[in-house]
Amino acid sequence: MQTLSDHELRLFVDSVRRYFDTTTAQSAQITSAFLGTAPVPGHQFTGCVQFSGSYHGQVLVSMPGPLLRELLVLQHATDLSDANLLDAVGEIANTLAGNARKGLGEELKISVPTTHQGNATLHPTLRPHPYAITLRWSHHPALVLVDMARRG
Amino acid sequence: MRLLVVDDSNMIRTRISKIVQDGGVGKIALVGLARNGVEALRIAKATHPDVVTMDLTMPEMDGMQCIREMLRLLPNTSILVVSALNDKATAIAALKLGARGFVAKPFTDDELRLALLDVMEAH
Repeated sequence: MQTLSDHELRLFVDSVRRYFDTTTAQSAQITSAFLGTAPVPGHQFTGCVQFSGSYHGQVLVSMPGPLLRELLVLQHATDLSDANLLDAVGEIANTLAGNARKGLGEELKISVPTTHQGNATLHPTLRPHPYAITLRWSHHPALVLVDMARRG
Repeated sequence: MRLLVVDDSNMIRTRISKIVQDGGVGKIALVGLARNGVEALRIAKATHPDVVTMDLTMPEMDGMQCIREMLRLLPNTSILVVSALNDKATAIAALKLGARGFVAKPFTDDELRLALLDVMEAH
């Protein structure tokens, strides 16, 4: 299992920034990036995309309901049910993973997102110390957990 | 023109629908929303859309396979790919299959409007 380089990790930080800048015209503040100790405390709604091919592992995006509701309203949504909040966090995970692929190479394959609701802690499946990126957008906290490694 | 929106995310389907309904993209009417390639083909057969916005990463049938099947069934359909897979190889692969345009997620409302206008003009 090979660790990720600073450049590879930066792809995810850049993807987070681009997502909020483009979708909301309101920047996200990256508050920290560190090696987390499993399990990592998450928020109420979590989206997960699995990697295969040239990398393996997963990226998890965990966000509280108020952040997702505000984000949905900005995207013209009127249905703010929990099902739609789960859909939104899954789509955000998909977008971050898909954008990061541009820098990680086309041999990286990404899954369709899965989602989870509940204030559960996040359990990385690959790394005992996954890369945690914490952010704040519109006064709401959120977390991106990069639990992946290069093959070979 | 008739538009079919294909994306596994309800947030994206709703957003594209709203952008179209808000105007600025000429005369276009939404004829369907599909959550995957299988649904897209079923709706397309019934509604014969002129323009389709197509996600790539979807369950059951992904966007690449759906583009291939849709253009085999309805070769005059203009397909605009809207995907988070924003690398050059993916865009080229989609265009080689017959897609007419590519919008990377995340996108602004104006980016989508302009891309739709380009695809509609070329249709």
